[in-house]
Amino acid sequence: MTPTHPQPTTLRFGYGTNGFANHRLDDALDVIAGLGYEGVALTLDHAHLDPYDRDLPARLEAVRRRLDALGLAVVVETGARYLLDARRKHSPTLLHEDGRGARLDFLERAVRIGAELGAEAVSFWSGVLPEGTAPERGWELLAEGCARLADTAARAGVVLGFEPEPGMLVEDLAGYRRLRDALGAPASFRLTLDIGHCRCLEPLPVADCVRRAATDLVNVQIDDMRRGVHEHLEFGAGEIDFTPVLAALADAGYRGLVAVELPRHSHSAPDTARRSLAFLREHATPVRATPVQAVDAALTAQGRTWLAAAAARAAAEPAALAADFAAAGRACGRGPLAAPGWEGWTVDEAVRAVLLAAAPAPAVADLYARGDRAERRAVLRALPYLELGAGAVAPLLEDALRTNDTALVAAALGPAATALDAAAWRQGVLKCVFLGVPLSAVAGLDERADAELARMLLDFAHERVAAGRDVPADVLPLLRRHPDLLAASPIHAEAGSPEPRRAEAARRVLAQLG
Amino acid sequence: MRIFDPHIHMTSRTTDDYRAMYAAGVRALVEPAFWLGQPRTSAGSFTDYFDGLLGWEPYRAAQFGVRHHCALALNPKEANDPRCAEVLELLPRYFAKDGVVAVGETGFDSVTAAEEKAFTAQLALAVEHALPALVHTPHRDKAAGTARSLDVIRESGIPAERVVVDHLNELTVRQVLEAGCWAGFSIYPDTKMEPDRMVAILREYGTERILVNSAADWGHSDPLRTRATGEAMLAAGFTAEDVDRVLWRNPVAFYGASGRLDVRPQDPDPALLFAGNSVQRGSR
Repeated sequence: MTPTHPQPTTLRFGYGTNGFANHRLDDALDVIAGLGYEGVALTLDHAHLDPYDRDLPARLEAVRRRLDALGLAVVVETGARYLLDARRKHSPTLLHEDGRGARLDFLERAVRIGAELGAEAVSFWSGVLPEGTAPERGWELLAEGCARLADTAARAGVVLGFEPEPGMLVEDLAGYRRLRDALGAPASFRLTLDIGHCRCLEPLPVADCVRRAATDLVNVQIDDMRRGVHEHLEFGAGEIDFTPVLAALADAGYRGLVAVELPRHSHSAPDTARRSLAFLREHATPVRATPVQAVDAALTAQGRTWLAAAAARAAAEPAALAADFAAAGRACGRGPLAAPGWEGWTVDEAVRAVLLAAAPAPAVADLYARGDRAERRAVLRALPYLELGAGAVAPLLEDALRTNDTALVAAALGPAATALDAAAWRQGVLKCVFLGVPLSAVAGLDERADAELARMLLDFAHERVAAGRDVPADVLPLLRRHPDLLAASPIHAEAGSPEPRRAEAARRVLAQLG
Repeated sequence: MRIFDPHIHMTSRTTDDYRAMYAAGVRALVEPAFWLGQPRTSAGSFTDYFDGLLGWEPYRAAQFGVRHHCALALNPKEANDPRCAEVLELLPRYFAKDGVVAVGETGFDSVTAAEEKAFTAQLALAVEHALPALVHTPHRDKAAGTARSLDVIRESGIPAERVVVDHLNELTVRQVLEAGCWAGFSIYPDTKMEPDRMVAILREYGTERILVNSAADWGHSDPLRTRATGEAMLAAGFTAEDVDRVLWRNPVAFYGASGRLDVRPQDPDPALLFAGNSVQRGSR
């Protein structure tokens, strides 16, 4: 079932007006909206809503009405190159002992403009550490400025998105976290993440950066980039694999704008913007559909009537939902769901997935907590089809992984397990091995299995050998992928053990591992 | 001999018991909610217990080839503790669950006003949810307590054939059968009833509307007393057909009224437990 045209995604794409520098702002907004973008990242600049314009209030009102009319969401960007100083790019910054007042004044204007426009975030960066300024002093100045801005933003009802920028004092996620923690993590001080920057300089793969930053994210810029080269490239011109990145954003429940950041492509802005949106839509995870059609075909007329009534009251009648959810098997049956793509599902699970999709989001955790085994398993299996966000999904998966019920453990490691962090996921995989759940139940095992998991499984294999027992066959391929770890394993020494049981078990597993 | 134990507290038993029960012919059981031997002090303690009776315990039973269903209720003894009264409000949600085939154990312990209030309320819930009810009779002052229980049952409007009055003996069986309810007997190693006495009751009253259970729990009790009763029946001249009626078809008929009973044979193979899909590993 390959989609012939782009599927809807939960992600909202935007385009940066700094990539439309050769257009009037109103024209740029027209083009961006006309292409199908849902928002803009509006860089305040001379030609685009100059914050020092004498007619700012009127201009602001006009832009606000224009955005409304076009249905565009907006974030405010403050990276204009020569707005404050005609001679020196991006100057002065919060790190300049002398000029930082001008930067603060500009950023506070940006916050007020953001409030007027209903912006989802106001984005800014630290600036490059000026020559002759000690880093410690730079951090002091930055923290002082950020604290004041966070306060201004909080009072204005605006959220700041601080952007780590390669080459600047705060250039990576570690720096952002240091700054955030130094400020006491105020609610108005969050993160703008540029996807290209992650590829440029972060130690982790880009999708992992997204997962780890997810809870702080209020604004995302997106562009391609190469390792070590801070140059914003059109999609496909750099080194980033965008499918897992966009999946990570969607799975994390991120609902802010994902805005294309190509400030050096103004010369071809309309074409570049069109190509970029087509690319993003092609690589974005489509919204997964609950098995409505598959389940419909599996129901009797009576079951169909029951489900229609139950789904209709699911949103507004919590007590009825709880009773219907429990009764799904009795009302609709429990046989296998005979529909391509839904192998391994039962009718009652699919019916429950339909009910969950119709239910208000907070009801899901309650139905899980008060569910019996079958209900809990149905919730776990339905999670990838509900838009709950990783923060709501992970606690349910972690609860299931604390049980010793193989059905729940296996269901928790299905496609929803992208919400688990690496440590919890590895523990889950190991638990499958201990409980005898075949590893084929683990979704995305080959992609996600890392050296640490191999290390854990190798230790497990050693324990089995020391007990004179065999190692489950489905563990072996994960070990073969790490010949370095295998070569260093004490299992080799076990082959010479004076205890025949141990020596034989070691020889058997080593032979299997080739 | 196929056996359905209509009243046994497996949460208090070991896997050795499950294995021995399967070997003795037990293929299905109902575990009613009761007290822990030590009082609970909050409603949360009940919900965890109920969740276990719907989750972990049926899973455990299935590994030994035994179909597990439960009856849920606020038991008579703990109905007297106001800290536990909230359980009554939580029960309706549980009565919607597949694994729940009855309301129980409800009834009297010390025949207090609080017990009567909980008993009445739970019989009303049984009517509302179309579930049978398992009624516990007091150990002390049993005959009077049983008579009082039958009054409450009559007043509740629940059909008599949907009620089993349990822990009966020679002195309480007649009034229960005459009231149209089912008569339950807990066969214990020393107390309550014994297999030979049970056989005598079956001779006198016949096999209709009779349930025989082990009521095995954390106390001195024996999950194989059902089998011992079946053997005593055969030794006393009852047919295999009679034994099957008392130990299998009667409980199936009684709890089957819930519409939720599943007593299809199930292999005691852990590999078959993953919701009908094999979870067998490649090579072990």
